[in-house]
Amino acid sequence: MRLLLAVTIIWGLVAARAAAQTYTPQRPLPTTTSVPALRALATQREIEERFRIGIDAESRGDWTSAVAEFKRILALNPPEPKGSTARYDLAIAYANLTRYDDAARELRAAIALDPAFLAAMANLVSVDLSRGDLGEARQIADRYIAMDPDSARALYSRGIVALQAGDAVTAREDFGKLLRNNPSYAVAHYDLALAEERLGRYVSAERELRTALSLAPAYARARFALGVVLLREGEHDAARNEFQRATVDAAGDPALQNIAASARDSIPVP
Amino acid sequence: MSRTLVRPVLVAALLALLLICGRFAVAGAASLEDALTGTLAPSAAPSLLGPITSAGRVGWECKPERSAASGGWHEAELPRGPFAP
Repeated sequence: MRLLLAVTIIWGLVAARAAAQTYTPQRPLPTTTSVPALRALATQREIEERFRIGIDAESRGDWTSAVAEFKRILALNPPEPKGSTARYDLAIAYANLTRYDDAARELRAAIALDPAFLAAMANLVSVDLSRGDLGEARQIADRYIAMDPDSARALYSRGIVALQAGDAVTAREDFGKLLRNNPSYAVAHYDLALAEERLGRYVSAERELRTALSLAPAYARARFALGVVLLREGEHDAARNEFQRATVDAAGDPALQNIAASARDSIPVP
Repeated sequence: MSRTLVRPVLVAALLALLLICGRFAVAGAASLEDALTGTLAPSAAPSLLGPITSAGRVGWECKPERSAASGGWHEAELPRGPFAP
């Protein structure tokens, strides 16, 4: 009888220990009773929770709530990399609220904290394009490419900035390099064609546009651009045909459709 | 007016008419090209890369940072183009 009781007690202890192992807490309890240390742990925990809540808010498009969360994180003065990351996330919320100046300020601060933060550079170029600051966009894009010369986004971003700023030579170099790694990217063929057209290299522009259209036959903007290039080459009949096709392909873009129709009707029928 | 004068006057008038029409045609083509100069707009700027968790940018484990450094346009989240479905 005593033996049976002892076995039962031992079995009970083993079972209880196994159950305890199953429910090991994820966050071990602090082993300090120091008030400043406990306060620091609480702050760290608040930062983690607010990041989670802020990112959840961004994922459901609640940008105002996200701004509040990330501003509170910054008020807690988080160490790196949380500081630059909070500013980066706050900038995304501001940009979606079309507060582009605020977004740019936060991204600049994030890059100052972490000078190799490529995603922040990428977003700052896009934000600067939205706010029309081509000067800063170009400066950041140059830095982005210097840090990662093969980045597709860096090449594309600087190419777009260069085209908008009238620097067709840089745009030609960037889109050309982007296409060496991505020959089937129709959009880059279109933008390279624009650079070639602005440099008066119509044969090259026509070739790039025909490549873009072979990759994406319904690319109405490329079709329209091909009409313009053919017109510059003196191929009026071929240009009219392309404008006609552009009016059909641009069914979802009334502005482009109107321009294409006007161009088509401005060329006399032989 | 004598018959001898009618013919050269008619020829001159016809030539003048042709010249004027030709000039209008050339001017028309040039003005169309001029009008189309500003219509070739560059593609859209890239959309923003997504948020980053409290872990911060940790190299290839961080998707936005990976997109920013990628050499491929798909992973870089570049515009797919207005023709995309």
